[in-house]
Amino acid sequence: MNMTPEFIIGVIILIIGTIISAFPGRRDYLSRLINLEIPAFGLLLIALSFDETLALLTFIAVSTLSTFVMVLVIERTEDPV
Amino acid sequence: MNEILLLIFGGIAVIGALYTGISKDPYHKLIAIGLLAGAVMPLLIDRGYVDIAAALALILPLSTIFLLQLFHRGSP
Repeated sequence: MNMTPEFIIGVIILIIGTIISAFPGRRDYLSRLINLEIPAFGLLLIALSFDETLALLTFIAVSTLSTFVMVLVIERTEDPV
Repeated sequence: MNEILLLIFGGIAVIGALYTGISKDPYHKLIAIGLLAGAVMPLLIDRGYVDIAAALALILPLSTIFLLQLFHRGSP
């Protein structure tokens, strides 16, 4: 397994993003949803280090789609806390 | 890519990730996400994935627009 710089940066960002998403500063839905974007970028860099074009494109599209779905769900909740 | 440039862009990406987590204001968080995306972009282009970088540049503002729909609800 080759440890390319993209892989190392991706793993660092993935770990940072996971910790931040698990223990956020503000415990509301909006902050948590924005924090979820950080590990997505880490995973993107890890997929980049494996040179998989289709995986990269699919992951970018699906992460945006999931953000849209989560926004719809949060908008429909009565109490946003 | 030059190792120094790689280190700089990696550092910018890590700073963007840390600032997204540390900042309390959602607008600051969105700006920090933009910083993180901007640091990822040269790494993508360095590997030759210019098409994916263009797709990311198109799709990422969509995600920001979706998130901005939640902002008018105000901070709970």
